[in-house]
Amino acid sequence: MVDALVEIHRVLAPGGTLVDARPDSRVPAYAERRKPRGFQRFGVVKTSRLELANDRASDRAITRVVRDGLFKRRRNGRFWHRVPFSDLAELRKYLSEHLRFVHRAEWVVDAATRKRHSNDQFVIRRAVRYGLLEALRSPRNISPARPD
Amino acid sequence: MMSAAAAGSRGNELACPTRFNLHIPMSRVAQDSVGDLGMRVPAQSSALRPRPHDELREWGGSSLVRRKRVLDLGCGDGRLALGVAAFATRVEGLDPDPEVIANAKRNARKAGVRNVRFAAGAAQRLPYPDAAFDLVILSWTL
Repeated sequence: MVDALVEIHRVLAPGGTLVDARPDSRVPAYAERRKPRGFQRFGVVKTSRLELANDRASDRAITRVVRDGLFKRRRNGRFWHRVPFSDLAELRKYLSEHLRFVHRAEWVVDAATRKRHSNDQFVIRRAVRYGLLEALRSPRNISPARPD
Repeated sequence: MMSAAAAGSRGNELACPTRFNLHIPMSRVAQDSVGDLGMRVPAQSSALRPRPHDELREWGGSSLVRRKRVLDLGCGDGRLALGVAAFATRVEGLDPDPEVIANAKRNARKAGVRNVRFAAGAAQRLPYPDAAFDLVILSWTL
């Protein structure tokens, strides 16, 4: 990852911007039922351990290129995004096959409620984080290569 | 950017500024393997990720890309590259998977976007000269 970020720094004009946006695995995602007005939380969906490790590696790579003076952090933020499903079965299928999330939601409503609303529309609401980094003219010094 | 089947159902949603009005069940969405959604999950990144304009708004609005030379790394089917092309001077999309690049080129032709180019390649060896871009986007890539 660091080598890719060094390449990005090379092709960016000084003062140019790098946008790094990805799912925010530091907070859980939520399985929600769509209501006529708004959404009702049905469960919590956690990120798989492998993806958590990948996200931490990405964070370390960003930290390193900032420390090395290639980039300066300008702004960070987070927003929420909803992934739609036609019903509960489709949401479950998505989770069972998805590589980012754990395969089962932790339900916060009882089985009877889930059954009663199983044909309703559902969403997974998940956080997306982003960071804007400014490319600096010349790096202070590049630290020796280390495995990411 | 999307299949003909999905395009019809999304026409109204794209016109609507409310982010959460989007509701296309996965079963009605085109079957491809693009995105971070897991290799076995049929997915259309256009539907299962935030819409380009929503993402752009969160990052700071169209001024971020307006009249800029933009590189979209890990561009996939060109969802974001095509989404920001209207504002940018030119957009390059790069992805290691030649198959999704072929899709992206098809999507660009379909959308009639002329200032976007797609190529297959790795982020570790970018086929561009120094200081060629004002903005590089890593959207769901790093």
